[in-house]
Amino acid sequence: MITLEEFRLIRDYVEKHCGIHLSDDKTYLVETRLTTMMFEQGCKTFGELYNLAVLDKTHTLRDKIIEAITTNETFWFRDLHPFTIFAEVMLKQYADEIAAGKRSKIRIWCSACSTGQEPYSLAMTFLEAARRTPKLKPEHIEILATDISSTVLFLGKLGRYDNLAITRGLSEEFRKRYFVQNNKIWTICDEVKKMVRFQKLNLQESFNHLGKQDVIFCRNILIYFSLEFKQDILKRIAALLRPRGYLFLGASESIIMYTQEYEMLRHAMGLYYQVK
Amino acid sequence: MRILSVDDSAATRHFIKKAIDVLGFEFLEAGDGKQGLEVLERENGNVDLILLDRHMPEMDGMAMLEALKANDLFKNIPVTMVTVELERDEIHKAIEKGAKNYLIKPFSQENLVGKIMESLNIEL
Repeated sequence: MITLEEFRLIRDYVEKHCGIHLSDDKTYLVETRLTTMMFEQGCKTFGELYNLAVLDKTHTLRDKIIEAITTNETFWFRDLHPFTIFAEVMLKQYADEIAAGKRSKIRIWCSACSTGQEPYSLAMTFLEAARRTPKLKPEHIEILATDISSTVLFLGKLGRYDNLAITRGLSEEFRKRYFVQNNKIWTICDEVKKMVRFQKLNLQESFNHLGKQDVIFCRNILIYFSLEFKQDILKRIAALLRPRGYLFLGASESIIMYTQEYEMLRHAMGLYYQVK
Repeated sequence: MRILSVDDSAATRHFIKKAIDVLGFEFLEAGDGKQGLEVLERENGNVDLILLDRHMPEMDGMAMLEALKANDLFKNIPVTMVTVELERDEIHKAIEKGAKNYLIKPFSQENLVGKIMESLNIEL
């Protein structure tokens, strides 16, 4: 059983190293996700595990703790609206710009991509748009998918999903068009796979090196961050976006309280943000 | 990659198989240590990783680990010992006897994939 003091030590440690803020009702989450690790490390208490992590200069244990705490819930075309908006607003605008010779690349960043469902959903959305708009070609788009967890990135990069994972949000039509089935495993086709590049990234560290982006997906992750970190990351995302670039957040997330740098817009019953 | 799961629980082997199928690796299985050694003999030691349950009837995980380390053909195959919580001493003993890694039950698919990546030195 984790004590309140131990929970607070680990809560502050996690927040310091990845920005995720664990409210007091997350005591159970910390206990269930770190118990195995506590025993693995030969610790009798969560306090001992914390001390071991602090003393570990290699940061291996720190990364393991962060990986265990971060959640990886993910679906294909999650919430649907962002993908509709991406196709009907952004890709329409970018196709016109490409046709007019004003643009050669569309750069998209999925900042917490988990096992790849979000970036691959965007790639499929792009290919669907390209079928209707010959001006759009796969070489026009670069989708960067990052996450803090090496394990989920490895799985995303493999692009292989079992029967349960494949059904979560993906239509039969898309399954047939973009996946190859081999018994109970569905592998994303090369055409989609090669549009996405996976890379490990801790959002608490600088991401300037990623270069300017047209659209950033930062969905269902801000809810875990403290007020200060939310403000910090939204400011850094605004700086990374190209002028009038777009930001998508999770359906239950809002940034109005944290920043004035974005304008909130609506389309097809969904919300998105544009940097001012 | 070929991964051998040695576990007396068919449900655990099934769970492990599902994760290994997603990875695209080949799955081999055995219900106890004795059968595990038979599979290795049959396969001429051509296995990249053994996920070895600590507690099994007939020949348990520790006994199989000792048999592996005493066999020139099998001694270099990495072993991840699968155990349950509160068995820290068992984990230390397994590592001393040559297990490369350990996995504690209950584990998620991602825990398992993470351990497989570690045991096989797979990097992103």
